[in-house]
Amino acid sequence: MPCFLLMISAIMVENSPSPLPERAIYGFVLFLGSQFGFFLFCLWAYVPEEWLHSVGLTYWPQKYWALAMPIYLLVALMVSLVVLFGINMNNTAPLDSVDNVTDVFAQGQRSDCCRKGGIPRLEDVSISEVNKMFYLSSDLSEQKVQHHQVVQRSAQHRQKVLCPSAAAGRDG
Amino acid sequence: MADDEAFSNISGKAISLDCQTHSSFCREFTVSSPKMSIGKVMVYTCSVWLLAYAVFFFTENTAVLSSAILITLTGMMLHIHFVKVDHESLLVIGSLGIQVSSNYASGREVTTFIEMSRIKDIVINEAIIYYLCVLLKEPSEPNVVSSVVPLFQSSKPRLNCLAKVYKSCQEILSKCQ
Repeated sequence: MPCFLLMISAIMVENSPSPLPERAIYGFVLFLGSQFGFFLFCLWAYVPEEWLHSVGLTYWPQKYWALAMPIYLLVALMVSLVVLFGINMNNTAPLDSVDNVTDVFAQGQRSDCCRKGGIPRLEDVSISEVNKMFYLSSDLSEQKVQHHQVVQRSAQHRQKVLCPSAAAGRDG
Repeated sequence: MADDEAFSNISGKAISLDCQTHSSFCREFTVSSPKMSIGKVMVYTCSVWLLAYAVFFFTENTAVLSSAILITLTGMMLHIHFVKVDHESLLVIGSLGIQVSSNYASGREVTTFIEMSRIKDIVINEAIIYYLCVLLKEPSEPNVVSSVVPLFQSSKPRLNCLAKVYKSCQEILSKCQ
């Protein structure tokens, strides 16, 4: 339910996730709706077939699905967790792949020279430059500052499918 | 210059780095992995043989025992010949090329030479781990990295060891590439 609070009203100008009266109403309506839907599902699952036929409601799914559908959903949830992890492992480039170093976008970027005194254009820094900056600069304390300041758009982030568990542990 | 600070690989086991400067434009770096410990070998052998004896106790089939012995022997031979790396070395010769070689525990040596015209740079790249790699280029396109050759893949040294090797390599590469 909290995820539905992110719906943005058409009247709103700014997009912020803060609680608002409209969102509270949406949330409550959805809460009531889902509780009612669950009550109807239980009703359909427990009421015997003859009673439903006698009232006139004949075209409903088999009662088998009252058990099968929740079980399918839960198993699908658990399998998808494992599959998500597997997809991430599969998509991680091996160590000898060029995708760890550069990609199509970085190679295609134009390197036009900046105006004098202007801020240089945001671009991908080549790995040789980055290495020189990290490991060959003479002042050791400056190295630590530069480590935080260098923005390096790594090509491997583009490959990662679905971020939640994708942040592989970094070893140093 | 032989050098042996306390380096370790990414699992925490101690490795040793040996840097030799043969001349002003030729240096060799050797990373040695920890040797196989006799205790570990004995533990594996005893556990496999005890397991085989337990199976023999229930099945009364002597083929189980002889096959267990054969399996341990051939397994150990294959392991030291194909899997267990004793040391890996990188030889950088300015304006000629670099030579990468792995020596296995059985004495087998696998060597690759890459000529300097194909080498773009030797860098430390950060993927899941930090690793030293050679960036190769095609002579026709000098600005494009065509492939990557990771170095020291079996010994997997940590960043302090890699930084040392990197600095030393760059001294040669910047002079004569």
